[in-house]
Amino acid sequence: MQPPNKSLAATPGAAPTPSETRARQSLRKPAQQSLPLEPAPRVEPGRDAQASRLWLCLHFPLLPLEALGSSRAPRAVFEEVQGVRRILLADSTVRAAGIVPGLSANAALALSPMLELRERNPAREAQVLRALAVRAERYTSMVSLEPPALLLEVAGSLRLFGGLENLWQGIGSELRERGFSVLMAAAPTPLASTWLAKSGRNIRLLDPALLTGTLAPLPLRCLEWPESVQEALNGMGLTCIGDCLRLPRQGFARRFGAGLLLQLDRALGRLPDPRASYRAPERFCRECDLQEEEHDSERLLAACRQLLEELEYFLISRQLAVQQLRFSFFHLRQDATRLTLRRRQAGAGTAQWSELLELRFDCLALPAPVIAIRLASGYGESLQAASDALSFDGKTGQASTLPIAHLMERLSARMGEAAVHGVALVDEHRPHCAWRATPALEKGDEKGDRFIFPGKINLSPFSKRRPLWMLPEPLRLETVDGEPAYRGPLRRVSGPERIESGWWDAGGIARDYFVAANGEGMRLWIYRERRGRADWYLHGLFG
Amino acid sequence: MNEALESLLKNPRVWRARNAATAEAPQGWPSGYRKLDRVLPGAGWPRHALTEILVEHPGTGELRLLMPALAQLCRAGKSDTGEAGWITWIAPPFQPYPPALTQWGIDLSRLLVVHPKQSTDTLWAAEQALASGNCAAVLLWPDFSNFSRRLQLAAEKGRSWAIAFRPLEARAEISAAALRLELVKGERGTDVRILKSRGGRPATVQNVIHEGDRANVNRP
Repeated sequence: MQPPNKSLAATPGAAPTPSETRARQSLRKPAQQSLPLEPAPRVEPGRDAQASRLWLCLHFPLLPLEALGSSRAPRAVFEEVQGVRRILLADSTVRAAGIVPGLSANAALALSPMLELRERNPAREAQVLRALAVRAERYTSMVSLEPPALLLEVAGSLRLFGGLENLWQGIGSELRERGFSVLMAAAPTPLASTWLAKSGRNIRLLDPALLTGTLAPLPLRCLEWPESVQEALNGMGLTCIGDCLRLPRQGFARRFGAGLLLQLDRALGRLPDPRASYRAPERFCRECDLQEEEHDSERLLAACRQLLEELEYFLISRQLAVQQLRFSFFHLRQDATRLTLRRRQAGAGTAQWSELLELRFDCLALPAPVIAIRLASGYGESLQAASDALSFDGKTGQASTLPIAHLMERLSARMGEAAVHGVALVDEHRPHCAWRATPALEKGDEKGDRFIFPGKINLSPFSKRRPLWMLPEPLRLETVDGEPAYRGPLRRVSGPERIESGWWDAGGIARDYFVAANGEGMRLWIYRERRGRADWYLHGLFG
Repeated sequence: MNEALESLLKNPRVWRARNAATAEAPQGWPSGYRKLDRVLPGAGWPRHALTEILVEHPGTGELRLLMPALAQLCRAGKSDTGEAGWITWIAPPFQPYPPALTQWGIDLSRLLVVHPKQSTDTLWAAEQALASGNCAAVLLWPDFSNFSRRLQLAAEKGRSWAIAFRPLEARAEISAAALRLELVKGERGTDVRILKSRGGRPATVQNVIHEGDRANVNRP
């Protein structure tokens, strides 16, 4: 061991034994007198500030394995290190067969031929961890990603969730339900909670004064210190954090770097330890890898529904709603099939979306089996479709407009958006321009459009006698002795009404309109072109 | 003489076989045509049921026949606070012309037009619209038969009025509709021939739509 530094010897004699240290700490005399801080700046945050922080660490020891999805077969994850495949993690069942981390993949297969070996997928792990962070945002606004762990600052959430015990149970059971094994610990500093969680001790430490005493017995492997440092410390006979704390600061810093000293200080709350809060992207985009190529629509729908549930969670925790979703179905050798769902009323609920999805899925022809599904929300602008306004008068607002929107969405989902529309008037003399179709899935801005006066237009006195049926294109009529005929000779009942308009654009017309009747009791709206050949046309039926 | 007869007939003690069913039938939507109301049970179009209108060509007066009742439905829907009172047109043979609909008093903001690509979608859409409870009336132009039972049930479920337009050849089909009528060219206008009427009896009403007036008059 290093001879004691002069400056450390505030307490005369040899370095205290761990038990002595612990005894001292329990007397709330931290071991700081043995660690005079010469170069390190000493910050003493107020006691209150310290007490107001509580970090909950969720450590996922089996993340590389669990990130690959659930499976019944015995599994192990390997990692390729310098060309050699080595086992990184194994199932508990596999571990019993003697497959331990560090074993080569071939040896593992020899021990257990049924073993399902998968390569570690760090990208997938990060994705899963981010998804878990999104879940954890339910409990606190401060979630920090520390792979393979999450750090939650929960001091402010304790009252809402009914105390640490309830919060602890709630988070733990939620994670276990989702198939994650988790080690948890709570402590006033982020590092302390991380180390405690990693040690596997279910410790809930609220009092900062007890930090040193609680951390001291932790083995050094809980600290993510480099191998070389750990070996060196072990060689010096130091096995736990308490041993390190008893070392002279300067010597420790000189030998192992100031960074590690800083870590110790931060863990003990002597120095502030700011953490970056994870902010999930405001657009939802998630993928679901299927175990194998899948063609069965039921199973695909089930996978989609799972994605939709995640979306709902994502949206509801943000109080958002989206109007548009896009599913991408990936095939092995072909371009992905895309499916866009739209709604009139922005929504978040799984039930509504999956109902629309099923309608669309019926008519969707997948060219090949699917290997993965991606769900992306809020394509482009749509995620601004945030929460709806509350309505207090009971007349307008979401509750009352939802049903008809629901019908429109369903009709559009099955038949296409172009097949469903409303109508509005346009202030125009040309008959075929006097109206327009309003898309069903867009809520009409009745006041915004200067030229549209739905239902309020004052039809000018000379625009009487309009037919209820309009032909999409005027139909040229045969003439018999110069008089038009449609299912028999036509008799003009009234007219002419001259409409000459639109000279300012390419669609100008000059026509004389008549109401005519034929022998079958039909009443027609016909016109004679006043330009060119003066042909007769049928434009509408009086229905 | 006529007056005396009228007062006699109004006397509740006088029982008339003709009206026996009519009196019990639930109140219908007044059609706006008095002659027609007189023969329809419930003095109007049957509510929450399927009405079939057989017409040879579109344009013979089938829409004019409905317009007063539809306009009235719109006005009734407006007083509702909810999202009811929509009128849905499914697979119309031509484009319903909004300016003319406004002239008849239809509220365009509650109009939905659906153009299905396949005939199976027509029935599906009609069922959805009827059963949704949002639509006061659903007008559809099916190009197939054997739909009447489903539509009748959907109309009852959603408390809506289904109106199906069929060609004259459909006359021989069996239908579950509450009311079936046929538009034929009469002497001076369009006659309505009632083929089937639940709680009523077949009848022919002449000249319901006059040749001279309705087309020129904007509102009934």
